[in-house]
Amino acid sequence: MTTHLNKNWSIYLWYIIIIIGLIITVTPFWWGLAGSFKDNTTIFSEVNPFSLKALIPGHSLEAYIAIFENNFGRAIFNTLLVSILSVIGGVLINSLAGFAFAQFRFKGDNIIFGFVLLSFAVPADAIAIPLFKMIRQIGWFDSYYALIIPMLSNGIIIFLFRQFFLGIPKDLIDASRVDGLSWFGVYWKICMPLSKPVILGASLLLFVFQWESFLWPLIAAPSPELNLIQVALARFSTEFAVLWNQQFAASTIAGFLPLIFIYMFQKQFVSALTGVEQK
Amino acid sequence: MSTIFFRRQWIVPYLFLAPALLGTIVFKLYPIFLGFWESLIYTSFGGGIEKRTFVWFENYQYLFDDPLFWQSVKITSILTVIINPLQISISLGLALLLMRRTRYIRIIRSLYLLPIGIALPIATIIWGLMLDPYQGLINGFLGIFSIPPQPFLVSENQALWSIMAIATWKGVAFWMLFLLAGLEDIPTQFYEAAQIDGANPFQKFRYITLPLLRRTILFVFVADTAANFVLMVPMIILTKGGPMQSTNVLVFEAYRSGFYYQDWGRSLSIITILTVITLIVIGLQLLFLGESRSERKI
Repeated sequence: MTTHLNKNWSIYLWYIIIIIGLIITVTPFWWGLAGSFKDNTTIFSEVNPFSLKALIPGHSLEAYIAIFENNFGRAIFNTLLVSILSVIGGVLINSLAGFAFAQFRFKGDNIIFGFVLLSFAVPADAIAIPLFKMIRQIGWFDSYYALIIPMLSNGIIIFLFRQFFLGIPKDLIDASRVDGLSWFGVYWKICMPLSKPVILGASLLLFVFQWESFLWPLIAAPSPELNLIQVALARFSTEFAVLWNQQFAASTIAGFLPLIFIYMFQKQFVSALTGVEQK
Repeated sequence: MSTIFFRRQWIVPYLFLAPALLGTIVFKLYPIFLGFWESLIYTSFGGGIEKRTFVWFENYQYLFDDPLFWQSVKITSILTVIINPLQISISLGLALLLMRRTRYIRIIRSLYLLPIGIALPIATIIWGLMLDPYQGLINGFLGIFSIPPQPFLVSENQALWSIMAIATWKGVAFWMLFLLAGLEDIPTQFYEAAQIDGANPFQKFRYITLPLLRRTILFVFVADTAANFVLMVPMIILTKGGPMQSTNVLVFEAYRSGFYYQDWGRSLSIITILTVITLIVIGLQLLFLGESRSERKI
């Protein structure tokens, strides 16, 4: 009897903690979404004094129309362009490197591999300022090159491809070599078509990484016509500090696409990020 | 043709490697050295002409004599000592809670992982409005309990804590993902055996979960520390290091020295110091984790 009661208590406690945690996690997101469909007077009046109406979405599209009149569409276009080019380039060069590490024993392979992994353990934001100096020296400052090319090679993705290619049966590769396929042919015609799950995971990582990047595009390409979405959002939040509904609307759009992708391919995304196969 | 090609086989792996390796060297490693080199140079703008002088370690000397720098060291230390244990204990606690097999657990987990999909600038902006002293949702909510409005980000005493709260909201979900994956990897037989032996939940945690999760926790700890060391998005968007320098962490001081005052020598001296500390932290990780990478499954 006592144990039964104990067990119930632990379940209730579990639910209480989980629900409080959920409220903290979801409320900011939901409040922003709800507020993006309201006008500013309504947003302010529902908070002070506090009313639960603050969390019920409105039905005005005024804020969304206003942000597109302020050139937010350009930021979306830029971000899509930069993200897609980064996905294509990043998948290509990192899978090539992963193939080299998986298929060949060559002089210095372990050292180079350790070196690649180590260099990516340094957080990108730490080298952003020296990288900025360098980009300015080579004349890429304020260009699409600066936004895309330095972000292509990626140690995590090299690692993902290497691990996957290691799992491809050696016999299959030897047989294709005997049949006269070049090494590039083995990579392109045998290994890559087998790698769809890794390609998907790697593409998601690269896409989300570019879509969510802020510090680098802020300093490397500050012109408004080159603004990526997070930078445009931050600019909005300063320029239109009092127009909360527009900040909410811009945040909603900036947050929407990666969320959809991540939830659609949750398994592949988590596998790619953690390097652990999801059950 | 094919014989020539055959003789040159040794070059093949390097050709595959070349583009990614070039990218790594040029855009990840060279900037570290460039940063160090530029930290030894003083740039003056006499009469609109940029003049660069090699000054050895003078920039560092100025830095160490500057109380503003030591203020930043203090703020960074406070942030580091509090935010990392905070984020890791919350994410470990939540990951353990979310291992319970119950109905709706998939939906609950997905909701908890939501902040991963929300970029830090978005989280920062929304939380900035949540914490607004006059119209923010938090003060509105506190008003129900007759708690007077709090200043949060505009107060010298609360700004750093508010930023830690924002970063924790965003960070916990991310690090929990790794801990959940690690927990899922522990074979359930271990727990079943412990159950038969009559182990209580605390014993199970102490003698099964903790030892088997050790590597994951270490990885998360080091990666989290390295990430929070360069945390400056909330400062750039919300506080600009203020009020009264209370959120002026080292990395933001570096950003401000460079982009506000064009003092690149000072900026890159700070960056070099930060990079060295980060590399030491990562070195310690490699020392502790050692062979763990080969054990990780894909």
